[in-house]
Amino acid sequence: MTSARDWRGLLFVAPFLLLYSVILIFPLLRGVWLSFNQVDLFGDGHFVGLGNYARLLNDPIFGTSLINTFEVTLMIVPALTIIALGLAMALNRGSRNAAIFRGIFFSSAVLSVTIVTLIWRFVLAPDAGLLGELWKAFGWQPLPFLSDENLVLPALAITTIWWSVGFPMLLFLAGLQQIPGDMYEAAALDNASRWTTFSRITLPSLRRTVVLVVMLQTAAQLQLFGQSQLLTAGGPSGASRTAVLFLFETAFGRWELGYASAAAELLFLIILAVTITQYWATGRATAAQGGR
Amino acid sequence: MASLELKGVRKSFGSTLILEDVSLTLDAREFVAFLGPSGSGKSTLLRIIAGLETADAGEVWLESFRIDPLPPGERGVAMVFQHYALYPHMSVRENMAFGLRNARVPKDEIERRIADAARVLEIEPLLDRKPGEMSGGQRQRVAIGRALVKEPKLFLLDEPLSNLDAALRLRTRVELAQLKQRVDAAVIMVTHDQAEAMTLADRIVVINDRTIQQVGPPMEIYNRPANVFVAQFVGSPAMTLVPAQLAENGDYATLKIGDGTVVETRVPRDRLPPSAHFRLGLRPEAVRVVGSGEATSKAKVELVERLGERTLVYARLGDGQPITAEDQRDSRLKIGDEIALRIDGAAAHVFDADGAGYHRTGA
Amino acid sequence: MAADFRRGRLTPLGWAALVIGAALMLAPLTWAVLLSLKDNAALVGHSEAALHGPYTLDNYVAIFGNSLTTRWLLNSTIVALGQTAGVLILASLAGYGFARLDFPFRRTLFVIVLIGLAVPSQAVILPQHELFAWLHLHNSYPGLILPGLIAPFGVFFMTTYMRGIPRELDEAAMLDGASRWTTFWKVILPLTVPAQSTLAVFTFLGAWNDYWWPLISATRSDMYTLTVGLAAAQMNYAQTSGLGYLMAQAVFASIPIFIVYIIFQKQIVRAMAGTAV
Repeated sequence: MTSARDWRGLLFVAPFLLLYSVILIFPLLRGVWLSFNQVDLFGDGHFVGLGNYARLLNDPIFGTSLINTFEVTLMIVPALTIIALGLAMALNRGSRNAAIFRGIFFSSAVLSVTIVTLIWRFVLAPDAGLLGELWKAFGWQPLPFLSDENLVLPALAITTIWWSVGFPMLLFLAGLQQIPGDMYEAAALDNASRWTTFSRITLPSLRRTVVLVVMLQTAAQLQLFGQSQLLTAGGPSGASRTAVLFLFETAFGRWELGYASAAAELLFLIILAVTITQYWATGRATAAQGGR
Repeated sequence: MASLELKGVRKSFGSTLILEDVSLTLDAREFVAFLGPSGSGKSTLLRIIAGLETADAGEVWLESFRIDPLPPGERGVAMVFQHYALYPHMSVRENMAFGLRNARVPKDEIERRIADAARVLEIEPLLDRKPGEMSGGQRQRVAIGRALVKEPKLFLLDEPLSNLDAALRLRTRVELAQLKQRVDAAVIMVTHDQAEAMTLADRIVVINDRTIQQVGPPMEIYNRPANVFVAQFVGSPAMTLVPAQLAENGDYATLKIGDGTVVETRVPRDRLPPSAHFRLGLRPEAVRVVGSGEATSKAKVELVERLGERTLVYARLGDGQPITAEDQRDSRLKIGDEIALRIDGAAAHVFDADGAGYHRTGA
Repeated sequence: MAADFRRGRLTPLGWAALVIGAALMLAPLTWAVLLSLKDNAALVGHSEAALHGPYTLDNYVAIFGNSLTTRWLLNSTIVALGQTAGVLILASLAGYGFARLDFPFRRTLFVIVLIGLAVPSQAVILPQHELFAWLHLHNSYPGLILPGLIAPFGVFFMTTYMRGIPRELDEAAMLDGASRWTTFWKVILPLTVPAQSTLAVFTFLGAWNDYWWPLISATRSDMYTLTVGLAAAQMNYAQTSGLGYLMAQAVFASIPIFIVYIIFQKQIVRAMAGTAV
C-alpha cells in the first residue's frame, strides 16, 4: 500500500475504540479500583486495600453462592454437552424430518431468559404447573421443585438445559460437517463397528468443538443469573443464590458498591482461571495424544 | 519522446532487498515484457510503477512528469491484474465506469468510452452481466476493457495470461498483440513465460536476483544472452553449458571440452578476458545428430523427446557431460544408442568465469 | 451411497428418543400457549383446565388494551434495531481499519479489542451503571443502546471477513482513483453483505433478549424493554390479573423473535456455527 504508516487509518477504528474505551476499558479499570474501596450510595469511598476481598472470603453467603454456582455449572455443562452431541449426530442428515427436529431443538434458544423462566415457573410450580398436573394425573404428590433446597438447583439446571441446548447442538453440527466423508468410508470398508467409528473418528475429529462448547458453556453458566433471580430469587433460604445474583443484590439491593466490585473481580478471576485451566488441560491432553 | 523512465529505483521489505538500483527507459508506444522467475522482483517493479508500492529510493517519470509522489489513481497508468480484480458486485459497465466516475469524467464521455471499448473487445453482450456470470476469458477481456477506457499513458499487465487454459492463452496472446496496435500508449507486461515475452514484446527486460540482467529485442536476448542466467532462462529447452579450455591462438576462440572435442567458435578471441577457463554455451540446434563421417563427438542417448516438428535428444558425451542435441523429426533413436554428434561452432556461445556472455560478431 | 457411511442409520430406538426429546422441548411451549388461551378465572386453582376448552383470545386482546406491554414492545424494537445498526456501522468501520489500513499501534489495539471478548458483563456492570448515572443516561434510549455497541466479537468477525477479500480489489480501486472512503464504501462494504446479515441477526437476537443491562438501567416502567417488563410482571404475579394473562404476555413477547428466527434461520445457523470455525 502507498501509505507506509498513516494516522488517517485510525479514523476508521476511532469510533469503536472511543466507545470501547469509555464503556468497557474504563469501567474495567474503575471496577478494580472500586474493589479496593469501601463505597456506598451516599458517602465518598475510602481505600480499604484488600479489605473487601478479606470480607468476601469470610462471608458465608458469598461462599454458599459460589458453591451453588459451581454445583449448577457441574450439573448443566456435562449433560448439555452430551445431549447436544447426541442430537447433532442424530440430526446431521439432509432429510426434511431432521431439519424440523433441528428447528424444534433450537427454538428455545431464541427466547429471552424472562420468557423461559415465565414458562418454566408454570411447568415447575406444584400448584399451577405442568409437572404438578402430570404428577397428580399419576396420583402422586406434586414435587415442590422451587421450594425444596435439594430440588431447586436441579430444577434450575433442567430449565437451563432446555433453554440452552440449541447453540451447542449447532456447534456440533458444524463440527460434524467438517469431518471428511472418506474417513467414514474407510472405516466402513474396515468393518468398524458404530462404537469404534464414533470413538475413533467422530469424537477425535470433534475434539476442538467439544473443548469450545465446554469452555463457552462453563463461562456462561458460572454467570448464571436470570433463572435464579426470576424463578426463585435465590431461595429457598439461599439454596439457589448464584454468585452473580449475590453481586446483583449486593450492588443494586444494598448498594455496597466496593464490596460488590470485589465480588465481581473475584468472579472474573475465577472464570478466567477455569477457562484457562480447561484450555491448558485439553492442550496437554492433545499433546499427549499426539505424542503416542 | 521517452514514455516511462525509471531512475535508480531501489526497494527492500524489512532487511530483504528486493530491487537494487533499477534504471530503464521505455520508448513511446513500446511493448515491454518484464521477464523473470518468481521472486525476481519483476512484480514489485511493476507495482512501484503503478504506485501500489513505494520505492525506497529512485524516481519514476512518465512522459516528462515525475509520478512516483502521486497516488496510483493520478499517475495516468492502468493495470490489468493477475486475477483480474473485477469488482464482483458491479456489472461490467459499472466496473468500467468506476474509475472514470472517480476521475469526474462527464457522463456521456463515460458512455462513449465504454461503448468503444466494448466494441473493440467484443464484449457488448456482457455489459450488464456481473463477473461471476462470465468465463475466465470473458473476465480477462473485461479487465482489459476496464484499463482501456481510462485511456492511460501506460498499461501495466501483471501475468495477464497465467490464469487461462492453453487454448485460450494462445487466442488471448493474439488479442493482446492486436491491442498493442490499437492503443496509443506504452505497455508493460510482467511474465515468467519466455514464450509469451518473445512473441509479444518489442523489448524484453530480463530481471533476476533484484536487478535487470539484460534489456533488448527478443531475438537479441535469444541470440546474444548477456550472461549465463539469461542464456538458460530464455529458450526451451535450456542452453547446455559445457566447461571448456581455451585451446589455441587465433582470431576466434577455439575451445576444447572434456571429451576432447575441439570447437571452433566465431567469438572474437580478443574480446575474452585473460583466462583459460570458460563455458561453452550450446543450444540444441547447434548440436546435431549426424552420420559418423561429419561427426565431431560421440555420445550415448539417455532420453528422446519427440516434439513432432523436431526431436530432442538428451545424451552424455564420453566424459559423462550431459548435452542436448537435435535430430530430424522422424528420428529412430532410442535410449542407450551410441550416436555421433556435430557441434556447430558458429552457433556456439562463450561464457567467462563470472558468467558474462560473448557471442559471434554480426548476426 | 457415501452419505450413508457418514450418517449411519438411525435406529428405531434413536427415533423414539428424538421424538420424546422433541416432545419435552415443545411441552412447556404448548403449555404456555394453552394457559394463555384460557380465561383467568378458570385457571385459579385448576391449571389443568388448560388442557381442554373453552379457549379464548381475551388475554391477547387485553394486552393491546395495556399500553405498557405495547410500549415495552416498542422499546425493545428501538433498542434492538439501534444496537444492530450501531454495531454494523462501528464493526464495519473498525473491521476495515484493522483488516486493511496500517496505522500506529494497529496490532496492539486489535489485541486490546480481543481482550474484550473475555470480559464478562458482570465484571463491568457497576462502573457502567455509575458512568451512565453521571451522564444522566439511565432510563433513556441512548442509555439502553450504548453498552450494546461494545461488540468486540463484531469487530473481530468483520476484520476476519474483510481479510478474506482479495487485496487486488483494493489495489484495483486505488488505480481507479478511489479514495480510502470510496474504496470502503463502494468496493469492500458491498462485498460484506453476507457477513453483515449474519452479524445483524446475531446482534438483534442478543439485544432483544438482553435482560442484564436494561434491568439495571431502566428503572421506570415506561422505559422497560419486554424482557424487563415480563420479569417485573412475573415477580408481581400475585397482584397481576392472572395466569392466563401472564402467559399471553410471554407468548406475545416470543412472537417477534420467533418470526425473526424463522425468516433468518439461515443466518442464525451460520452465525452460530461460524463461531466454531
